[in-house]
Amino acid sequence: MPEIFRSRDCVVLLKDDSYTAIVDATMVAAGWPGGQGVRWVDAAPTDEFRVTFSDGRVAGFLVWGSDEIGDDHTAVTRNQPHYQFATLFGGSALILTTSFEQFTLASRLVGPLVPLTYGVNDRVYFSLRGLWTVEDEMTISGHPQAPASSAGYVSQVPKSINNFFVGIQTTI
Amino acid sequence: MPEIFRTRDVIVFAKGDTIPATVSPDLVTNGWPGGQGVQWLDTGSDEIAVARTDGNGQGFILWGSDEDSDRFTGMTRNQPVYEFGTMCFGGWLLATRTFETLTLASARTVPIVYTPNQSLVFSLNGLFTNEDEWTVSADPRAPNDNVVGVVVQPPSAATDNFMTLQLRL
Repeated sequence: MPEIFRSRDCVVLLKDDSYTAIVDATMVAAGWPGGQGVRWVDAAPTDEFRVTFSDGRVAGFLVWGSDEIGDDHTAVTRNQPHYQFATLFGGSALILTTSFEQFTLASRLVGPLVPLTYGVNDRVYFSLRGLWTVEDEMTISGHPQAPASSAGYVSQVPKSINNFFVGIQTTI
Repeated sequence: MPEIFRTRDVIVFAKGDTIPATVSPDLVTNGWPGGQGVQWLDTGSDEIAVARTDGNGQGFILWGSDEDSDRFTGMTRNQPVYEFGTMCFGGWLLATRTFETLTLASARTVPIVYTPNQSLVFSLNGLFTNEDEWTVSADPRAPNDNVVGVVVQPPSAATDNFMTLQLRL
């Protein structure tokens, strides 16, 4: 039986840096899960700290999703996309999250789907859509700014005993 | 004369992140010094667990399993008995006597010379070192780019032969 309540997309065991950031129109329109990796975007002509979905580049991750079940029927239901903000986490945190890639990039593009295998102490990156993964998708896809920066290590592999959350020690 | 009391394996000047973690059977059986490098361990259960690292750079255990300063106190050997340690990562400034003193390349016969600003990794024993032991031992994971920090103050008589480290894990 799981020892830790995992009632949100991203469960924080140890917190480090956090900051409020503006999310761009793409994120407002699409929504995002808790634990979503993001990168900075130029907010000119405004003087804002603005983020969007990561494409492998690392600014940090958004601790709360835009419409999580845990927020339903509360005063904060969908308040982040409504006010176009989110809480950006960085530094050296220890988290558990469901926002990770399940399948390899190659298999997601052309199929059939091949599951990713997570091992403890594996380095983790953000995928091309900003989810945690053990693949350097920037290198695989020939991104001009490859290789991807490591964003942490796997501290606990997803399995039934932990409700298939992955544990991550972040190094952002 | 040393200006700072160094009565434990690790003396903390600036603290980073800490979390209690279950320690592996190897650590329980053999004990560990404060400053022992560790890596995450999958025990199959839903717990935060660590094992002695062999070069990976996830963190270190703050207090040793049986330090002199814990003798004749209520916490003498409480960590190995209850099979836990304090896992540390993030940014730290500390002094420690837990580091390799002899090179692996010399089969542990030639002293290691530490100088300020040198990058540090963990050795195959999980101790701080400036030698890439993965490369020396032809480990398939070589080279070891898991840099965990830099030397601030090399060990000397003036520091009671402790080494001061700036860590970023």
